[in-house]
Amino acid sequence: MNFRAGSFLTLVGAGLGAWQGGSPSAVPVSSFHFVDRSASAGLRLPTWCGRPEKPHILESGGTGLALFDCDGDRDLDLYLVNGWRLQGNQVVERGRNLLYRNRGDGTFEDITASAGAGDERWGTGVATGDVDGDGDIDLFASNFGPDALYLNRGDCTFTTLPDGPGIDGWSTGATLFDADRDGDLDLYVAAYIDCTLDQVLDAQPTLDWHGLKVMLGPFGLEGKGNRYFENLGGGRFRDATEAAGLVDAGLYYSFSVAAADFDGDRDLDLYVANDSNPNYLYQNDGRGHFQEVGLWSGAALDENGLAQAGMGQAIGDVDGDGDPDLLVTNFSQDQSTLYANLGQLMFEDVTRRWGLREPTFMPLSWGTILADFDLDRDLDLFIANGHIYPQADRAGIEGIRFKQPNLLLAKEGGRFTDLSQQSGPGLAVIESSRGVAAGDLDGDGDVDLVVANVDAPPTLLRNDSPPRGAWLLVDAPGALRVSAQVDGIQLVRDFVAGGSYLSASDPCFHFGLGPVDWVDQLMLLYPDGTLKTLRHVAVNQRLRIPR
Amino acid sequence: MKYTRPLVALLVPVLALPALAQETPKSMVATYSALADGILALRRTEAEFVRALLDSHLQTAKAHVKEGQWQAAAAQIALFANEGDNAIGGIRKRLLEGGHHHNAAGEEQGIYEPGYVIVTKAAKQKALAASSALRQAQTDEARKQAWQQFETVAQELLGKS
Repeated sequence: MNFRAGSFLTLVGAGLGAWQGGSPSAVPVSSFHFVDRSASAGLRLPTWCGRPEKPHILESGGTGLALFDCDGDRDLDLYLVNGWRLQGNQVVERGRNLLYRNRGDGTFEDITASAGAGDERWGTGVATGDVDGDGDIDLFASNFGPDALYLNRGDCTFTTLPDGPGIDGWSTGATLFDADRDGDLDLYVAAYIDCTLDQVLDAQPTLDWHGLKVMLGPFGLEGKGNRYFENLGGGRFRDATEAAGLVDAGLYYSFSVAAADFDGDRDLDLYVANDSNPNYLYQNDGRGHFQEVGLWSGAALDENGLAQAGMGQAIGDVDGDGDPDLLVTNFSQDQSTLYANLGQLMFEDVTRRWGLREPTFMPLSWGTILADFDLDRDLDLFIANGHIYPQADRAGIEGIRFKQPNLLLAKEGGRFTDLSQQSGPGLAVIESSRGVAAGDLDGDGDVDLVVANVDAPPTLLRNDSPPRGAWLLVDAPGALRVSAQVDGIQLVRDFVAGGSYLSASDPCFHFGLGPVDWVDQLMLLYPDGTLKTLRHVAVNQRLRIPR
Repeated sequence: MKYTRPLVALLVPVLALPALAQETPKSMVATYSALADGILALRRTEAEFVRALLDSHLQTAKAHVKEGQWQAAAAQIALFANEGDNAIGGIRKRLLEGGHHHNAAGEEQGIYEPGYVIVTKAAKQKALAASSALRQAQTDEARKQAWQQFETVAQELLGKS
């Protein structure tokens, strides 16, 4: 399709779709249209997180999910992390993590029973990557309890690695990434607080909040240390937290973790979002040794120098200057913070400038995705929301409920515009959402979303937005950065391992290209400095580029 | 909980002796007074410790400036602004979790961050801005300006530069 010819009609159609009466100038025009297809896709099972009244903070964290191709058939399958269901001080259901195979026809098949990855511990998050280097994607499940590493046989069946790496306790976000550039994937696991199952079962809401009793924490509870495990090969890992300079000095309450090359020196740095404490930014020296530079980099605190309640994160080149910027989601009545990457590992809080304070201030935000949902070349923003206190429904505070609408914001020029209300019935789904993962589930070239909800089935948000351009999906294992040149403009997409909230998205590099028929030049950068260049690349295809 | 047992063991015999005492026995008053001296001395020592910590960041920053190591100086200023690094922050978190504050009234009024001893919110913001400006400065003039901005803040807090 030639988008130069089709784009005007597409935009008019999108505009008409968004205008539902009243003054057209008063309603922002949306080019987004998302529909909820969870039930028709067969995603009907809920994921649990404790009791309805959430007397312990563990019950508020919810779960993450992963989108990855588990059987090598080039479509994305879904791994949904599951917690436990409690009643009183009893465990009534040990929820198994669920694995759904994408049938390729818009539906999913529950293959949990045959896959061998239905972890029955209290699940929290997941990381994906080819841990054993056999060409398929393995899973690391973080739990409240011992974590587990599941090795894929290549056909969506898994074996557990005995004595695998991980934390025994409440671990949260995790990322599999090649920290030391030796060709295999190492593991970083974040942890929240130190507590026992008995403490969870016996917990009572004791904290006063707007005249109501709610769960205690995180203040008053002891933090648990994050850990790093070096992959030694042959299925062996060693705890190298101290040797790598990754000691969790503050024992802060950590949630999401992501690895990306923030300073452009061809190694993966680490960002850890901490609840109620400064966030960590660990700079990699290229040999797998890290230095924590969050406080002076400007990425640990907000513009007022205050620590926020970091939950999730999204990484991408928001301002189009070629380096990865950072969006961190935070607690209710505090904005999500956009840190612009100024280069040399310096960041600046540009939340207000980009129009993000107002739409993100009231919701309590978790998983988040930066992606070009309408294929117009720039990165848009999705944020999953939901309060931690079910008691919020009785607090009488306007705009604060346990179940909250999610946010969809379009980048328009140098600002984000909130188009949540104009972006289709999928954005009208209201749950207490947590993790979110992104990927092209239906093979139509745009980015779909799956959102994990607390004590409810997930929401599959199929992207039916009228395309504003062509697309390209680059499957390039090992690449650190891919840039596409179109119409003299350079679009840069960075490799990001982890992020969102306790979730893993499809690691392919996705480009919305705008109205073009081909990509003039595609460049892939690898950690060893190798630069691969392809010219005159056809659009609207999934391009596999082996290392 | 574990600390209350010796205290109870200490108090029980003292209280038991004067069965119908109308006022607190002098020995108990003296003990409590000595405890108060210790508690207050500890608070003062903690404040002096934090002051020394800040001074060490200031002096290290100065040394870096002398060597023209601007990035390192900016890092020290950021640590000054945050009243220490994350290891110190972790200890501050423990103290807060135990109910220990230095400027509780000031925290409520938004003057101090919870657990901060010397650095006010306003001073922190100014120092962080100076750190950021120093990192981004391209000219000697800009560096000098950023450094002076920080020195003013440090002087106000520590009474010297």
